Amino acid sequence: MRYFYRILFCLFIVSFAGCSNKVEPTQSNIKPISSEKLSIALEDNNEDEDEFMDEFEEEMELEEISDPLSGYNRVMTNFNDGLFEYVLAPVARGYKFVVHKEVRTSVGNFFHNILYPIRLINNLLQGKVKNSSEETGRFIINTTVGIFGLFDPAKSYFELEPHNEDFGQTLGFYGVGAGPHIVLPFFGPSNLRDALSLYPDSLVNPVDYHKNRSYNLTNSYGESLFLTTYDKVNFVSLHDGEYEKLKKDAIDLYPFLRDIYEQYREAQIKE
Amino acid sequence: MKKIVLILISIFIIASDVYANEQNSLKKHFIDTIDKIIIVVKDTNLEKIKRNTKIIDILTPMFDFTLMGKLSLGKKWKQLNTVDRKRFVELYVERMKQSYSSKLDAYSDEKVEVTKIKQAKKNRIELITDLVQTDAKLKISYKFYKPKKAKKDKDTWLIYDVVISGVSILKTDKAQFREFLQTNTIEELMDQLAKK
Repeated sequence: MRYFYRILFCLFIVSFAGCSNKVEPTQSNIKPISSEKLSIALEDNNEDEDEFMDEFEEEMELEEISDPLSGYNRVMTNFNDGLFEYVLAPVARGYKFVVHKEVRTSVGNFFHNILYPIRLINNLLQGKVKNSSEETGRFIINTTVGIFGLFDPAKSYFELEPHNEDFGQTLGFYGVGAGPHIVLPFFGPSNLRDALSLYPDSLVNPVDYHKNRSYNLTNSYGESLFLTTYDKVNFVSLHDGEYEKLKKDAIDLYPFLRDIYEQYREAQIKE
Repeated sequence: MKKIVLILISIFIIASDVYANEQNSLKKHFIDTIDKIIIVVKDTNLEKIKRNTKIIDILTPMFDFTLMGKLSLGKKWKQLNTVDRKRFVELYVERMKQSYSSKLDAYSDEKVEVTKIKQAKKNRIELITDLVQTDAKLKISYKFYKPKKAKKDKDTWLIYDVVISGVSILKTDKAQFREFLQTNTIEELMDQLAKK
Protein backbone atom coordinates (compact mmCIF):
# COMPACT_ATOMS: atom_id res chain seq x y z
CA MET A 1 0.00 0.00 0.00
CA ARG A 2 2.93 2.31 0.70
CA TYR A 3 3.91 1.98 -2.90
CA PHE A 4 0.54 3.09 -4.05
CA TYR A 5 1.15 6.47 -2.48
CA ARG A 6 4.47 6.60 -4.24
CA ILE A 7 2.81 6.22 -7.64
CA LEU A 8 0.03 8.52 -6.70
CA PHE A 9 2.52 11.14 -5.87
CA CYS A 10 4.56 10.53 -8.93
CA LEU A 11 1.82 10.24 -11.46
CA PHE A 12 1.62 13.93 -11.82
CA ILE A 13 5.01 13.99 -13.45
CA VAL A 14 3.56 13.74 -16.89
CA SER A 15 6.65 15.45 -18.02
CA PHE A 16 10.12 14.88 -19.25
CA ALA A 17 11.55 17.00 -16.52
CA GLY A 18 10.76 16.88 -12.87
CA CYS A 19 8.59 18.29 -10.24
CA SER A 20 8.53 20.49 -7.24
CA ASN A 21 6.07 22.99 -5.97
CA LYS A 22 7.64 26.28 -6.75
CA VAL A 23 5.23 27.50 -9.37
CA GLU A 24 1.54 27.73 -9.37
CA PRO A 25 0.51 28.05 -12.96
CA THR A 26 -1.89 30.71 -13.94
CA GLN A 27 -4.26 30.89 -16.82
CA SER A 28 -1.91 33.30 -18.55
CA ASN A 29 0.67 30.51 -18.89
CA ILE A 30 -1.08 29.06 -21.79
CA LYS A 31 -1.53 30.56 -25.13
CA PRO A 32 -5.05 30.27 -26.37
CA ILE A 33 -5.30 27.96 -29.34
CA SER A 34 -5.94 29.97 -32.42
CA SER A 35 -9.21 29.08 -34.02
CA GLU A 36 -7.38 28.75 -37.31
CA LYS A 37 -5.29 25.88 -35.99
CA LEU A 38 -8.36 24.20 -34.58
CA SER A 39 -10.28 24.31 -37.80
CA ILE A 40 -7.33 22.60 -39.44
CA ALA A 41 -7.37 19.95 -36.78
CA LEU A 42 -11.06 19.41 -37.19
CA GLU A 43 -11.20 19.52 -40.96
CA ASP A 44 -10.11 15.94 -41.18
CA ASN A 45 -12.99 14.92 -38.99
CA ASN A 46 -14.51 12.89 -41.74
CA GLU A 47 -15.32 9.25 -42.12
CA ASP A 48 -11.65 8.52 -42.70
CA GLU A 49 -10.73 9.87 -39.33
CA ASP A 50 -13.42 7.86 -37.59
CA GLU A 51 -12.21 4.70 -39.22
CA PHE A 52 -8.68 5.57 -38.21
CA MET A 53 -9.81 5.93 -34.62
CA ASP A 54 -11.12 2.36 -34.66
CA GLU A 55 -7.49 1.28 -34.96
CA PHE A 56 -6.97 2.46 -31.41
CA GLU A 57 -10.24 1.10 -30.10
CA GLU A 58 -8.87 -2.29 -29.11
CA GLU A 59 -5.77 -0.89 -27.47
CA MET A 60 -7.75 1.59 -25.44
CA GLU A 61 -10.32 -0.97 -24.36
CA LEU A 62 -10.94 -0.51 -20.65
CA GLU A 63 -10.74 -3.47 -18.33
CA GLU A 64 -14.00 -3.82 -16.50
CA ILE A 65 -13.38 -3.19 -12.83
CA SER A 66 -15.66 -5.05 -10.49
CA ASP A 67 -17.31 -2.38 -8.36
CA PRO A 68 -20.40 -3.53 -6.49
CA LEU A 69 -19.38 -1.43 -3.48
CA SER A 70 -19.17 1.88 -5.33
CA GLY A 71 -21.62 3.60 -2.97
CA TYR A 72 -19.60 2.77 0.11
CA ASN A 73 -16.34 3.38 -1.76
CA ARG A 74 -17.34 6.91 -2.65
CA VAL A 75 -18.12 7.74 0.94
CA MET A 76 -14.84 6.24 2.13
CA THR A 77 -12.88 8.09 -0.57
CA ASN A 78 -14.29 11.37 0.71
CA PHE A 79 -13.45 10.36 4.26
CA ASN A 80 -9.84 9.54 3.36
CA ASP A 81 -9.54 12.67 1.27
CA GLY A 82 -10.77 14.82 4.15
CA LEU A 83 -8.47 13.01 6.55
CA PHE A 84 -5.57 13.73 4.26
CA GLU A 85 -6.44 17.35 3.70
CA TYR A 86 -7.32 18.32 7.26
CA VAL A 87 -5.20 16.02 9.39
CA LEU A 88 -2.36 14.22 7.64
CA ALA A 89 -1.18 17.00 5.34
CA PRO A 90 -1.14 19.77 8.00
CA VAL A 91 0.66 17.51 10.48
CA ALA A 92 3.19 16.50 7.83
CA ARG A 93 3.74 20.15 6.89
CA GLY A 94 4.44 21.11 10.49
CA TYR A 95 6.81 18.18 10.82
CA LYS A 96 8.52 19.13 7.57
CA PHE A 97 9.03 22.65 8.88
CA VAL A 98 10.80 21.39 12.00
CA VAL A 99 12.84 18.45 10.71
CA HIS A 100 15.59 18.60 8.08
CA LYS A 101 15.09 16.82 4.80
CA GLU A 102 18.17 14.64 5.31
CA VAL A 103 16.74 13.34 8.56
CA ARG A 104 13.35 12.65 7.00
CA THR A 105 14.97 10.80 4.10
CA SER A 106 16.86 8.65 6.60
CA VAL A 107 13.69 7.90 8.53
CA GLY A 108 12.09 6.77 5.27
CA ASN A 109 15.15 4.61 4.53
CA PHE A 110 14.96 3.07 7.98
CA PHE A 111 11.33 2.01 7.58
CA HIS A 112 11.98 0.71 4.08
CA ASN A 113 14.92 -1.37 5.28
CA ILE A 114 13.07 -2.88 8.19
CA LEU A 115 10.26 -4.11 5.94
CA TYR A 116 12.77 -6.39 4.21
CA PRO A 117 11.01 -9.61 5.39
CA ILE A 118 7.88 -8.73 3.39
CA ARG A 119 9.87 -8.16 0.23
CA LEU A 120 12.06 -11.24 0.72
CA ILE A 121 9.21 -13.66 1.37
CA ASN A 122 7.11 -12.44 -1.52
CA ASN A 123 10.05 -12.48 -3.92
CA LEU A 124 10.76 -16.05 -2.83
CA LEU A 125 7.13 -17.12 -3.11
CA GLN A 126 7.16 -15.92 -6.71
CA GLY A 127 10.39 -17.79 -7.41
CA LYS A 128 12.31 -14.58 -8.06
CA VAL A 129 15.65 -15.88 -6.85
CA LYS A 130 17.85 -13.10 -8.20
CA ASN A 131 15.63 -10.40 -6.73
CA SER A 132 15.57 -12.22 -3.39
CA SER A 133 19.34 -12.35 -3.20
CA GLU A 134 19.62 -8.70 -4.22
CA GLU A 135 17.13 -7.75 -1.52
CA THR A 136 19.16 -9.74 0.99
CA GLY A 137 22.34 -8.04 -0.15
CA ARG A 138 20.65 -4.66 0.25
CA PHE A 139 19.44 -5.53 3.73
CA ILE A 140 22.88 -6.68 4.91
CA ILE A 141 24.73 -3.70 3.42
CA ASN A 142 22.22 -1.09 4.56
CA THR A 143 21.85 -2.52 8.06
CA THR A 144 25.63 -2.54 8.63
CA VAL A 145 27.37 0.07 6.46
CA GLY A 146 24.14 2.04 6.21
CA ILE A 147 23.79 2.18 10.03
CA PHE A 148 20.54 0.29 10.76
CA GLY A 149 19.16 1.24 7.38
CA LEU A 150 19.33 5.00 7.84
CA PHE A 151 21.29 5.29 4.60
CA ASP A 152 21.11 3.42 1.32
CA PRO A 153 24.71 2.68 0.30
CA ALA A 154 23.49 -0.52 -1.39
CA LYS A 155 21.96 1.62 -4.10
CA SER A 156 24.41 4.49 -4.24
CA TYR A 157 27.60 2.38 -4.17
CA PHE A 158 26.59 -1.13 -5.17
CA GLU A 159 23.81 -0.24 -7.59
CA LEU A 160 21.41 -2.72 -6.02
CA GLU A 161 17.84 -1.62 -6.71
CA PRO A 162 15.00 -2.52 -4.36
CA HIS A 163 12.43 -5.08 -5.53
CA ASN A 164 9.15 -4.26 -3.91
CA GLU A 165 6.78 -7.18 -3.64
CA ASP A 166 3.82 -7.82 -1.37
CA PHE A 167 1.41 -10.70 -0.86
CA GLY A 168 -1.23 -9.15 -3.10
CA GLN A 169 1.30 -9.26 -5.93
CA THR A 170 2.20 -12.84 -5.05
CA LEU A 171 -1.46 -13.88 -5.31
CA GLY A 172 -1.79 -11.95 -8.57
CA PHE A 173 1.33 -13.68 -9.86
CA TYR A 174 -0.44 -17.03 -9.40
CA GLY A 175 -3.51 -15.80 -11.23
CA VAL A 176 -5.74 -14.66 -8.38
CA GLY A 177 -8.01 -11.90 -9.67
CA ALA A 178 -8.38 -8.53 -8.00
CA GLY A 179 -11.99 -9.03 -6.91
CA PRO A 180 -14.20 -6.07 -6.13
CA HIS A 181 -12.56 -2.71 -5.54
CA ILE A 182 -12.63 -1.66 -1.88
CA VAL A 183 -11.56 1.66 -0.43
CA LEU A 184 -10.15 1.01 3.04
CA PRO A 185 -10.30 3.60 5.78
CA PHE A 186 -6.83 5.17 6.31
CA PHE A 187 -5.14 2.87 3.78
CA GLY A 188 -6.91 4.15 0.69
CA PRO A 189 -7.81 2.31 -2.53
CA SER A 190 -7.55 -1.47 -2.50
CA ASN A 191 -9.40 -4.54 -3.69
CA LEU A 192 -10.48 -7.78 -2.07
CA ARG A 193 -7.27 -9.60 -2.96
CA ASP A 194 -4.97 -6.83 -1.75
CA ALA A 195 -6.99 -6.10 1.38
CA LEU A 196 -6.88 -9.74 2.50
CA SER A 197 -3.16 -9.77 1.73
CA LEU A 198 -2.50 -7.11 4.32
CA TYR A 199 -2.79 -9.73 7.05
CA PRO A 200 -0.13 -12.22 5.87
CA ASP A 201 2.22 -9.30 5.15
CA SER A 202 1.58 -7.92 8.60
CA LEU A 203 2.61 -11.26 10.15
CA VAL A 204 6.16 -10.78 8.87
CA ASN A 205 6.19 -6.99 9.32
CA PRO A 206 8.53 -6.27 12.27
CA VAL A 207 6.85 -2.91 12.90
CA ASP A 208 3.46 -4.53 13.50
CA TYR A 209 2.90 -6.07 16.93
CA HIS A 210 1.83 -9.71 17.13
CA LYS A 211 1.50 -11.70 20.29
CA ASN A 212 3.40 -15.01 20.30
CA ARG A 213 5.98 -13.72 17.85
CA SER A 214 9.63 -13.68 18.81
CA TYR A 215 10.81 -10.67 16.81
CA ASN A 216 8.48 -7.82 17.64
CA LEU A 217 10.08 -4.43 17.23
CA THR A 218 7.34 -2.86 19.31
CA ASN A 219 5.92 -3.91 22.66
CA SER A 220 2.25 -3.22 22.11
CA TYR A 221 -0.41 -2.52 19.49
CA GLY A 222 -0.31 1.14 20.49
CA GLU A 223 3.39 1.46 19.80
CA SER A 224 3.14 -0.25 16.45
CA LEU A 225 0.24 1.99 15.47
CA PHE A 226 2.29 5.01 16.47
CA LEU A 227 5.28 3.92 14.38
CA THR A 228 3.14 3.12 11.36
CA THR A 229 1.50 6.53 11.56
CA TYR A 230 4.86 8.21 11.99
CA ASP A 231 6.17 6.43 8.89
CA LYS A 232 3.19 7.74 6.95
CA VAL A 233 3.55 11.32 8.19
CA ASN A 234 7.24 11.17 7.31
CA PHE A 235 6.44 9.89 3.84
CA VAL A 236 3.86 12.58 3.17
CA SER A 237 6.31 15.24 4.38
CA LEU A 238 8.73 14.12 1.67
CA HIS A 239 6.00 14.42 -0.95
CA ASP A 240 4.28 17.59 0.16
CA GLY A 241 1.67 18.95 -2.23
CA GLU A 242 1.89 16.12 -4.74
CA TYR A 243 -1.42 14.47 -3.98
CA GLU A 244 -3.16 17.82 -4.21
CA LYS A 245 -1.69 18.41 -7.65
CA LEU A 246 -2.64 14.98 -8.89
CA LYS A 247 -6.17 15.51 -7.69
CA LYS A 248 -6.55 18.48 -10.01
CA ASP A 249 -6.65 16.09 -12.96
CA ALA A 250 -9.71 14.33 -11.60
CA ILE A 251 -13.19 15.01 -12.91
CA ASP A 252 -14.55 12.71 -10.23
CA LEU A 253 -12.11 11.68 -7.53
CA TYR A 254 -13.33 8.19 -6.69
CA PRO A 255 -13.22 6.56 -10.15
CA PHE A 256 -10.02 8.47 -10.88
CA LEU A 257 -8.15 6.97 -7.91
CA ARG A 258 -9.78 3.59 -8.42
CA ASP A 259 -8.59 3.32 -12.02
CA ILE A 260 -5.10 4.49 -11.22
CA TYR A 261 -4.85 1.95 -8.43
CA GLU A 262 -6.10 -1.01 -10.46
CA GLN A 263 -3.95 -0.18 -13.51
CA TYR A 264 -0.92 0.27 -11.31
CA ARG A 265 -1.37 -3.02 -9.45
CA GLU A 266 -1.94 -4.86 -12.72
CA ALA A 267 1.38 -3.50 -14.03
CA GLN A 268 3.23 -4.38 -10.82
CA ILE A 269 2.01 -7.96 -10.95
CA LYS A 270 3.13 -8.34 -14.57
CA GLU A 271 6.66 -7.20 -13.74
CA MET B 1 11.86 -22.21 -54.61
CA LYS B 2 15.32 -21.22 -53.35
CA LYS B 3 14.95 -17.90 -55.10
CA ILE B 4 11.65 -17.16 -53.43
CA VAL B 5 13.08 -17.95 -50.04
CA LEU B 6 16.03 -15.72 -50.78
CA ILE B 7 13.79 -12.88 -51.87
CA LEU B 8 11.63 -13.32 -48.82
CA ILE B 9 14.64 -13.27 -46.55
CA SER B 10 16.08 -10.17 -48.17
CA ILE B 11 12.72 -8.40 -47.95
CA PHE B 12 12.62 -9.31 -44.31
CA ILE B 13 16.11 -7.99 -43.69
CA ILE B 14 15.45 -4.77 -45.55
CA ALA B 15 12.18 -4.31 -43.73
CA SER B 16 13.71 -4.85 -40.32
CA ASP B 17 16.46 -2.44 -41.26
CA VAL B 18 13.91 0.22 -42.13
CA TYR B 19 12.25 -0.40 -38.77
CA ALA B 20 15.54 -0.03 -36.94
CA ASN B 21 16.31 3.21 -38.75
CA GLU B 22 12.94 4.65 -37.95
CA GLN B 23 13.27 3.66 -34.31
CA ASN B 24 16.70 5.18 -33.99
CA SER B 25 15.78 8.45 -35.57
CA LEU B 26 12.70 8.71 -33.36
CA LYS B 27 14.78 7.95 -30.30
CA LYS B 28 17.29 10.60 -31.29
CA HIS B 29 14.58 13.17 -31.90
CA PHE B 30 13.00 12.31 -28.54
CA ILE B 31 16.28 12.71 -26.65
CA ASP B 32 17.04 15.95 -28.49
CA THR B 33 13.66 17.29 -27.43
CA ILE B 34 14.32 16.39 -23.82
CA ASP B 35 17.71 18.08 -23.98
CA LYS B 36 16.05 21.22 -25.32
CA ILE B 37 13.60 21.15 -22.45
CA ILE B 38 16.32 20.63 -19.88
CA ILE B 39 18.17 23.69 -21.18
CA VAL B 40 15.03 25.78 -20.77
CA VAL B 41 14.31 24.31 -17.34
CA LYS B 42 17.83 24.99 -16.11
CA ASP B 43 17.76 28.58 -17.31
CA THR B 44 17.20 30.33 -14.01
CA ASN B 45 17.06 33.78 -15.60
CA LEU B 46 13.81 32.88 -17.28
CA GLU B 47 10.55 33.89 -15.69
CA LYS B 48 8.51 30.85 -14.68
CA ILE B 49 5.54 31.72 -16.82
CA LYS B 50 7.68 32.30 -19.88
CA ARG B 51 9.59 29.13 -19.16
CA ASN B 52 6.45 27.00 -19.03
CA THR B 53 5.14 28.52 -22.25
CA LYS B 54 8.46 27.80 -23.91
CA ILE B 55 8.42 24.19 -22.78
CA ILE B 56 4.86 23.66 -23.97
CA ASP B 57 5.91 25.11 -27.33
CA ILE B 58 8.75 22.61 -27.58
CA LEU B 59 6.50 19.70 -26.63
CA THR B 60 3.45 20.52 -28.69
CA PRO B 61 4.76 19.31 -32.09
CA MET B 62 5.46 15.90 -30.51
CA PHE B 63 2.02 15.33 -28.99
CA ASP B 64 -1.27 14.72 -30.71
CA PHE B 65 -3.45 16.24 -28.00
CA THR B 66 -6.36 16.41 -30.42
CA LEU B 67 -6.32 12.67 -31.01
CA MET B 68 -5.98 12.06 -27.29
CA GLY B 69 -9.10 14.10 -26.72
CA LYS B 70 -11.04 12.12 -29.31
CA LEU B 71 -9.87 8.78 -28.00
CA SER B 72 -10.66 9.73 -24.42
CA LEU B 73 -14.33 9.90 -25.35
CA GLY B 74 -14.31 6.50 -27.04
CA LYS B 75 -17.52 5.58 -28.84
CA LYS B 76 -19.23 8.69 -27.55
CA TRP B 77 -17.14 10.81 -29.90
CA LYS B 78 -19.01 9.61 -32.96
CA GLN B 79 -22.30 10.73 -31.48
CA LEU B 80 -21.21 14.32 -31.06
CA ASN B 81 -22.12 17.04 -33.51
CA THR B 82 -19.47 19.27 -35.06
CA VAL B 83 -19.96 22.13 -32.61
CA ASP B 84 -19.59 19.86 -29.58
CA ARG B 85 -16.63 18.10 -31.12
CA LYS B 86 -14.85 21.37 -31.65
CA ARG B 87 -15.57 22.64 -28.14
CA PHE B 88 -14.58 19.36 -26.52
CA VAL B 89 -11.24 19.13 -28.30
CA GLU B 90 -10.51 22.74 -27.48
CA LEU B 91 -11.20 22.16 -23.78
CA TYR B 92 -9.30 18.90 -23.67
CA VAL B 93 -6.18 20.34 -25.27
CA GLU B 94 -6.31 23.29 -22.91
CA ARG B 95 -6.66 21.00 -19.90
CA MET B 96 -3.76 18.86 -21.06
CA LYS B 97 -1.50 21.88 -21.37
CA GLN B 98 -2.63 23.27 -18.04
CA SER B 99 -2.02 20.00 -16.31
CA TYR B 100 1.35 19.70 -17.99
CA SER B 101 2.64 23.10 -17.03
CA SER B 102 1.48 22.76 -13.44
CA LYS B 103 3.63 19.66 -13.25
CA LEU B 104 6.60 21.02 -15.07
CA ASP B 105 8.07 22.93 -12.20
CA ALA B 106 11.64 22.87 -11.09
CA TYR B 107 13.93 20.27 -12.43
CA SER B 108 15.80 18.41 -9.74
CA ASP B 109 18.50 16.56 -11.63
CA GLU B 110 16.29 13.87 -13.05
CA LYS B 111 17.62 12.02 -16.05
CA VAL B 112 15.69 10.33 -18.80
CA GLU B 113 17.06 7.09 -20.21
CA VAL B 114 15.48 5.18 -23.06
CA THR B 115 15.62 1.56 -21.94
CA LYS B 116 13.66 -0.22 -24.64
CA ILE B 117 12.04 0.41 -28.01
CA LYS B 118 9.02 -1.62 -29.06
CA GLN B 119 7.38 -1.61 -32.44
CA ALA B 120 4.21 -3.66 -32.46
CA LYS B 121 3.07 -2.41 -35.87
CA LYS B 122 4.50 -0.48 -38.76
CA ASN B 123 2.92 2.75 -37.57
CA ARG B 124 3.37 2.33 -33.82
CA ILE B 125 6.50 2.79 -31.72
CA GLU B 126 6.73 2.70 -27.97
CA LEU B 127 9.68 4.27 -26.19
CA ILE B 128 10.13 2.86 -22.71
CA THR B 129 12.11 5.17 -20.50
CA ASP B 130 13.33 5.44 -16.94
CA LEU B 131 12.98 8.75 -15.20
CA VAL B 132 15.89 8.49 -12.82
CA GLN B 133 15.32 10.56 -9.71
CA THR B 134 17.63 10.86 -6.74
CA ASP B 135 15.64 8.40 -4.65
CA ALA B 136 13.77 6.30 -7.18
CA LYS B 137 13.29 5.25 -10.77
CA LEU B 138 10.03 5.78 -12.55
CA LYS B 139 9.12 3.79 -15.64
CA ILE B 140 7.44 6.01 -18.22
CA SER B 141 6.48 4.76 -21.61
CA TYR B 142 5.68 7.08 -24.52
CA LYS B 143 3.43 5.68 -27.22
CA PHE B 144 3.88 7.11 -30.70
CA TYR B 145 1.93 6.59 -33.89
CA LYS B 146 2.62 7.70 -37.42
CA PRO B 147 -0.28 9.43 -39.14
CA LYS B 148 -0.89 8.48 -42.76
CA LYS B 149 -0.71 12.11 -43.81
CA ALA B 150 1.84 14.26 -42.02
CA LYS B 151 0.11 16.98 -40.01
CA LYS B 152 0.87 20.64 -40.27
CA ASP B 153 3.25 21.93 -37.57
CA LYS B 154 3.62 18.42 -36.21
CA ASP B 155 6.33 15.76 -36.10
CA THR B 156 6.18 12.62 -38.23
CA TRP B 157 5.67 10.48 -35.14
CA LEU B 158 3.19 11.68 -32.57
CA ILE B 159 2.59 10.73 -28.95
CA TYR B 160 -0.95 9.55 -28.27
CA ASP B 161 -0.51 8.09 -24.80
CA VAL B 162 1.86 8.26 -21.86
CA VAL B 163 2.01 5.32 -19.45
CA ILE B 164 3.52 6.02 -16.03
CA SER B 165 4.33 2.93 -13.95
CA GLY B 166 1.64 1.05 -15.79
CA VAL B 167 -0.98 3.79 -15.51
CA SER B 168 -2.13 5.10 -18.87
CA ILE B 169 -3.07 8.77 -18.92
CA LEU B 170 -5.47 8.17 -21.77
CA LYS B 171 -7.19 5.16 -20.20
CA THR B 172 -7.59 7.00 -16.91
CA ASP B 173 -9.25 9.90 -18.70
CA LYS B 174 -11.40 7.58 -20.76
CA ALA B 175 -12.63 5.72 -17.70
CA GLN B 176 -13.35 8.96 -15.89
CA PHE B 177 -15.29 10.45 -18.78
CA ARG B 178 -17.27 7.28 -19.35
CA GLU B 179 -18.31 7.09 -15.72
CA PHE B 180 -19.17 10.79 -15.63
CA LEU B 181 -21.26 10.50 -18.79
CA GLN B 182 -23.34 7.69 -17.32
CA THR B 183 -25.10 10.18 -15.10
CA ASN B 184 -24.31 13.47 -16.84
CA THR B 185 -24.55 14.97 -20.29
CA ILE B 186 -21.67 15.92 -22.55
CA GLU B 187 -22.44 19.58 -21.86
CA GLU B 188 -21.94 19.00 -18.16
CA LEU B 189 -18.64 17.25 -18.83
CA MET B 190 -17.47 20.18 -20.89
CA ASP B 191 -18.53 22.65 -18.22
CA GLN B 192 -16.55 20.60 -15.73
CA LEU B 193 -13.48 20.68 -17.98
CA ALA B 194 -13.87 24.42 -18.50
CA LYS B 195 -13.91 24.99 -14.75
CA LYS B 196 -10.49 23.50 -14.24
